[in-house]
Amino acid sequence: MIRLNHLPTLRINPGAPRSFAYGRRRLQGVEGDTVATALFANGVRVFGRSLKYHRPRGLYSLDGESSNTLVNVNGVPNVCAETTPLAEGMRVSSQNAFPTPDLDLLGFMDALSWAMPAGFYYRVLHKPARLWPLAVPVIRKMAGVGTLPPDFQAPGRRDEIYPAADLCVIGAGVAGMSAALAAAEAGLRVVVFESRPWPGGAFEYRPGAARDGVPYFQKTAELIAAVQASPHIRLFLNAPVIGVYSNGLVTAFQRGRPPHPFDERYIEVRAASLVVTTGCIERPLLFDHNERPGVMQAGCAHRLARTWGILPGHTAVFSVGHDLGLEVAADLFDLGVEIAAVADLRQDGMDPALVDALSQRRIPLLRGWSVTKAHGRNRVTKATLAGANGRFRKTLDCDLLVASAGLTPVTGPLTLAGARLAFDEHTGFFLPDSLPPRVHTAGRLTGRQNWHAVAASGRLAGLYAARDNGIDQAAAIDELVHELGARPGPARGTQFVIAPGSGKKAFICFDEDATVKNVDQAMDKGFDVPELIKRFASVGTGPGQGGIPGHNLPLYVHQSGASPDAHPRPTTVRVPLVPTFLATYAGTRLDMSKRTPLHALQEADGGRMERLGVWHRARRFSEDGRSREEILAVRTAVGMLDASTLGKFRIFGPDAVKVLDRVYVGDMTRVPRTRAKYSAMCNEDGCLTDDGVIVRTSDNDYYFTTSTGRAGVTVEWIRYHTRFDDWDFGIVNLTDAYGVINLAGPEARAVLQRVTDADVSNEAFPYMGYREFAVDEIPVRAMRLGFVGELSFELHVPASWMVHIWSLLMKAGKDFGIRPFGLEAQNTLRLEKCHVIIGSESEQRTTLHDVGLGFLWHRDKPWAKTVGDVALRQTEHQPGRLKLVGFRMADPSAAPPKDGSAIVDRRIRGYVCASRYSFTLKEPVGLALVEEPLSAKGSSLDIYENGCGGQLARAEVSETPFYDPEGRRLRV
Amino acid sequence: MAFTITCPICGPRSGYEFRYGGEDKGPRPDPADMTPESWCDYAHMTDSRPGVQKEWWYHRAGCGIWFTIYRDTTTNLEVSPDSPETVA
Repeated sequence: MIRLNHLPTLRINPGAPRSFAYGRRRLQGVEGDTVATALFANGVRVFGRSLKYHRPRGLYSLDGESSNTLVNVNGVPNVCAETTPLAEGMRVSSQNAFPTPDLDLLGFMDALSWAMPAGFYYRVLHKPARLWPLAVPVIRKMAGVGTLPPDFQAPGRRDEIYPAADLCVIGAGVAGMSAALAAAEAGLRVVVFESRPWPGGAFEYRPGAARDGVPYFQKTAELIAAVQASPHIRLFLNAPVIGVYSNGLVTAFQRGRPPHPFDERYIEVRAASLVVTTGCIERPLLFDHNERPGVMQAGCAHRLARTWGILPGHTAVFSVGHDLGLEVAADLFDLGVEIAAVADLRQDGMDPALVDALSQRRIPLLRGWSVTKAHGRNRVTKATLAGANGRFRKTLDCDLLVASAGLTPVTGPLTLAGARLAFDEHTGFFLPDSLPPRVHTAGRLTGRQNWHAVAASGRLAGLYAARDNGIDQAAAIDELVHELGARPGPARGTQFVIAPGSGKKAFICFDEDATVKNVDQAMDKGFDVPELIKRFASVGTGPGQGGIPGHNLPLYVHQSGASPDAHPRPTTVRVPLVPTFLATYAGTRLDMSKRTPLHALQEADGGRMERLGVWHRARRFSEDGRSREEILAVRTAVGMLDASTLGKFRIFGPDAVKVLDRVYVGDMTRVPRTRAKYSAMCNEDGCLTDDGVIVRTSDNDYYFTTSTGRAGVTVEWIRYHTRFDDWDFGIVNLTDAYGVINLAGPEARAVLQRVTDADVSNEAFPYMGYREFAVDEIPVRAMRLGFVGELSFELHVPASWMVHIWSLLMKAGKDFGIRPFGLEAQNTLRLEKCHVIIGSESEQRTTLHDVGLGFLWHRDKPWAKTVGDVALRQTEHQPGRLKLVGFRMADPSAAPPKDGSAIVDRRIRGYVCASRYSFTLKEPVGLALVEEPLSAKGSSLDIYENGCGGQLARAEVSETPFYDPEGRRLRV
Repeated sequence: MAFTITCPICGPRSGYEFRYGGEDKGPRPDPADMTPESWCDYAHMTDSRPGVQKEWWYHRAGCGIWFTIYRDTTTNLEVSPDSPETVA
């Protein structure tokens, strides 16, 4: 197709062709095209088939107000052709049409529309119930829009940004840009969102002019240049607003440009002020077959020509209700479209200059006339017009029917911002009767259509925003209010008119195939408010988000007299205002995880790394799932575990000890300088939340560890439980500053002695002792603990020296058969000793008493008001609790039951916390939480394992710990 | 959580930076005369009344302090401590 390539308003580059596939055809568009304009330029008129009736649908608007032009692009279904920029090599195909939109074999559905009244899904198809499962797959196949393959991966990249601003402007039309400029001149930082690929809004492409004679597009271009030159304005193009929330939060997303149309960026701005200048869209005219391909809105026809250089048709009939329609008719005539007639709903009130323009061009203007029916199947061929009294009719040949009842403001963002809308008799708009603080509006949205009035109202809104931000603008505001008063005010709107006729094929909502008749049916059923009718008849619930029916539905319902309201009432608007990819909300995978300083070393040693919470940790160092070699190394020689994930904290200050006494169940007033104290934290229910060791590094200065999972919340926990006390202390999270090596096994001392001059003999450094010494000049904090049940040293090393110390110990231990061990080995080793792991042997309801750690609780420190103390007292002898027991299998050759298996008789009596095969004892051992009557030594436990097929495993409650019950091996 | 919360140190910040700490119930009661019922009441029960309440927040992604604000639970908006609605 030949493009009009001489127009100053073009946004295409006719010299830069872009080829793309449409079904099996290869077509060519040009740079600057959207998918919709490129298809239209290639003669495509039927873009797809409608949801229910498979009616042909074409280009009606250009900003995604309906689902008419949803297509599949590069495998992505439901892409709006109107808002998607064309890229070289795109693969475009139609949806919901079999085999093609022009020849759809399901087109007969249209003739069956009588069988699908409003609410037919709820009313018709559920009786008899046995038909429902048969009907559903058929309906699902025939109805609907795009198809999403099960293995669909959303293409494109996502990111998110959070710009800072004092003012957020929604809509970069003349009003929005004027507001941004006024605010920026006053010193505000301004963010502007514009959903189109360029600013300028409704004036950007129009050659018409106000009294000064300068064309709108030229004046608008000057504004655009000023906005782009302003260092204080950040303009986001291709960026529709999704939502507006409290405290000035605005969310939007920005579409990618070719060649990356599916990239999307999520944007969140919280500005002190908000200016909504979203302008108007057109209110559709209701008549029979009002959505035939070839019927389109005035702005759509005009922009096709002026922006994309495409003549929307050869012969046009206009049926409009506003001056804009007259302006478009005259301009399209000048560009070469034959205009058969212009019907205007209004009898009078037209701009005389436009009436003159039409008569100069000998275009017949039919006052008080309207189109009643569009003829033709896959494209419009004729239009029947009628006078208001219905007496006169004429039918005219045409291939373009420009139909538009009037304008309707885009109020979505404004209502989300908290504005209440009321019907305004003068404009026929739903306009805010009050605005929330710091929210302003201007421009065509308010009914003003004059360029100067729109610009002045925008500047005024910008000054109001400056005033919100504490900048004195009183004089400038007074001046502008005065100026605005002298400009033309809001234009009178068009009355709601529906052409006389059956309304059976007058579509009020294109997306859901809902006709005026469907609305009548809903009202016959007794629905009387638009909010309910909308749901029952499915009006405005599709992808267009009410862009087509949003204004007509309340007007129609009001006119019908069914509504109890004195004035038309709008339906509620909700987020998202514009459909967007869920992937955009999900964002990039910002899954943050941590690696210990030894991560690479352990991987090199064959460590199988596993994600546990935020950390990557070594599960084991061999193929063997039971880690036999690692376990035996610790039991018979020496092993090393990277325990760097432990939480590590410093707490200091005159009141530090009070704090420790508050959160730890033990007595913290007498922690000696050379001893490590093991203790636990409980919550207010006395339930175990954490355990660890506390050491005193100097007066009023303590160092303590927490379990890995609690490291992130410990500071919060401690500050919460001391929030009323005004104590003097500081707490520092050292978790990432220190690494921890657990050197364990009978040969651990010999290995350690090789790398330090400090005396680490049992006499100088006994069990549960704490020492600070140097290893190769590196200061190390060492504790003699025994989690795995052998002689062991827990070395706390500055993180940056971890690799060095670990390597040193590895070398020193070579002669002793040292090897690294992982979490699997540690789990079996500690299980043999019955040392609990929080979260394995405890859950939400497990108290300190339940796991047998009640001895840690110091009951005589009421002054401390220890967290959990009250509950520990109250639950100490509470019956009916689950208690922790050790068990052995009745048959020692049985496999250990899976963690979490239920312990049952006639009902569930408990569960297995952890169970492993013990290489040391040569039989499985385990820990379980069981009801108290089952917890006595020798009790028999029946274990139901998932997948056991009813074959219960028998176990017996046993003495604990299983290994080295006297703890001699810890103390050597 | 689209609302902002005014941290006494960092100023008004996005609600996502904070952790909710519950209604303000005042300091822990004297444990001496607590029954399991009254303790459970203190530890778990809330008033959950619609309207302005005093509540605790923790600036988790910020300065790390606990503080109280007044919030209208019906609008999810913070209310100035000087507002007459804050008088319980």
